[in-house]
Amino acid sequence: MKISKKIVLLGHFGVGKSSLIRRFVENTFSEDYKVTIGVHIFKKNVTIPEKGTDVSLVIWDLEGNDDISNTRLSYLLGTHAFIYVYDVTRPATYEKLESELNFLKEKQKNTPITVVGNKEDLVTKAYIKQNSDNFGRLTDFYVSAKTGDKVDFLFSNLAESLIK
Amino acid sequence: MLEVYKKKYIKPVLQYSILDFEGNIIESDNALFLNFKNQYVGDIHPFFETITSLLTAEENETVFSCIHLNIEGKAITADIILQTFGDAKNPLLIIHDLTSHYNNYQTTAQVRNESVINSQILELKNTYLKEKEVFKNSFIANFSHELRDPLTGILTFTDILSKTNLDLKQKDYIQILNSSSNFLKKMIDDILDISKIESGNLELSIEPFYLLDLLNEIKFNYKLKAEQKGLEFSFNFDDKLPEIVGGDAKRLQQVLTNLLDNALKFTDSGSISFNASLNQLRAQKASIHFEIVDTGIGIKEENFETIFSSFSQVSNNHSYKGTGLGLAIVKYLVELTNSKISVSSNYGKGSIFSTNINFVANSTLVVNKPKNKKEIKFDVSRKYNILLVEDSEITQLSVLKILASQGHFFLDIVTKPDDVLARISNIDSEIDLVLMDIKLKEFRGDEIAKQIRKLPERHQKKVPIVAMTAKIFKEDLKRYKKAGINDVLKKPFNESQLLEIIANNLK
Repeated sequence: MKISKKIVLLGHFGVGKSSLIRRFVENTFSEDYKVTIGVHIFKKNVTIPEKGTDVSLVIWDLEGNDDISNTRLSYLLGTHAFIYVYDVTRPATYEKLESELNFLKEKQKNTPITVVGNKEDLVTKAYIKQNSDNFGRLTDFYVSAKTGDKVDFLFSNLAESLIK
Repeated sequence: MLEVYKKKYIKPVLQYSILDFEGNIIESDNALFLNFKNQYVGDIHPFFETITSLLTAEENETVFSCIHLNIEGKAITADIILQTFGDAKNPLLIIHDLTSHYNNYQTTAQVRNESVINSQILELKNTYLKEKEVFKNSFIANFSHELRDPLTGILTFTDILSKTNLDLKQKDYIQILNSSSNFLKKMIDDILDISKIESGNLELSIEPFYLLDLLNEIKFNYKLKAEQKGLEFSFNFDDKLPEIVGGDAKRLQQVLTNLLDNALKFTDSGSISFNASLNQLRAQKASIHFEIVDTGIGIKEENFETIFSSFSQVSNNHSYKGTGLGLAIVKYLVELTNSKISVSSNYGKGSIFSTNINFVANSTLVVNKPKNKKEIKFDVSRKYNILLVEDSEITQLSVLKILASQGHFFLDIVTKPDDVLARISNIDSEIDLVLMDIKLKEFRGDEIAKQIRKLPERHQKKVPIVAMTAKIFKEDLKRYKKAGINDVLKKPFNESQLLEIIANNLK
């Protein structure tokens, strides 16, 4: 049977949500910043070898917002997993991380949230270590849409966790 | 007729489709996209895949705004409305094409977001630069502080060594040691000055002083230095210069000696000339023009600005030693007096540095004469007990050697706060003076001074305390005074400075 999962990416504008999806779906990257308005929807099949099955990820790329409570709630309907993305170089994008996550938990109980710090290529490992308290202990992955570092792993790991 | 035109020019923006409960399209008006009918809606675009779970809901209208669709090669941005009825009636799907509206919104959002992101990045860069500056200044201040203990050791022991029986060769070596350590001390002072200036902690101290005496002293020293290098040295001090002016004599001396050092450094043959003239005397203010002219290597015009930057030396010739801070300090100090330093140069032939500095000038100015340096004498009939609170072994040894050479002192050295208080509180051993380091590994000297002043009367709470430190910013001095410290000896110090401050503070 075909398994399809809806993944929604959220976070402030300019953190690289669209770039992460483009890297995962098309394996491309552009330095140009084009603002996303509304939603772009992408689809990619992921094979889970251990389970001998394919998962079809329907990925919703939501318009970035500096306040998550402004998100149109209809976008969240039927979501199987959230990926909350922030930019490790811009404090404004992670300063309210905890309250943003609480909002999501309140609106979509029991939907798992993966927290991702993007643009790790722009900083050193020492910087991430020094700032890990500011990022919140909630961060699951530090990734780079530009270099592709850990992007595939992020999505395939999520797909695998969704069919357990 | 109207109907004909309408059919020809109307642009449909709405498409209505009816679905079954599994998500198959039963009917569609194909207004926007053809071929909708008889398809599973999830196969048309992945967006629809996620709405199939909502088809069996009770009567409800769900609106999805601003969805980007690309169907049959046509890209639109639409609002999508799913209407369910809950009474076994089939759900209705409406696609509302709002592409041009959303395109306008996209343009506005692009401008807004880019501007917010840019201002955030700019703010971050500013914060980063400020943090870097603060770090640099505190690093320099701490580092130069740490250099002072070993330098005190070198200066003290060079001094002690020079008073022993030496042959001529050894005396030459001592001379080299002396001038090298003084050069090192000057460089550390320069670095510390720059960090003070850049952190805004340097203030001028305005007091009356004898201008001509200062100029003559500088002239005497540099005439000697120039002649030692085989250069001619001339000077011209205007007769109209006021005898006494109000200003920061120490900083004026620093400006002029830095400029003269610079001239000496870059002039291998020819002459150096040092001139001062009255530019203007008005409203109790004297503007004095200073000028240093050399026949040295000169400066290219494009380098006129950079020579005044910290750590910059235009010449790539490494035979010109130094930190490259001298002219930067000159520029900052001159600017502190609301003046400017000017340079003109003929590359390869020489340079002229000049500035007009304002001083207070009126007939009521009186110079507080510095105490005449009298011979330091101690009461030979007794010995003094000195308590040294210091954990640097080099400084311990330096103080020990200096005091031992006098034969008037018993020295007790302690490094722990409890030991300090125990010694002071011990009524059986009277202490005549405490030499207190400020920055010890385990505690701060000024904190211990405070505790000493709080001791009961019978416990020598009034013992004179002299701080030994390199930290002598204005706010530091205030703190020491508040802690009950009587006097401050600046590190690095030499034998006479130590003995003089002890003599001045002994009861």
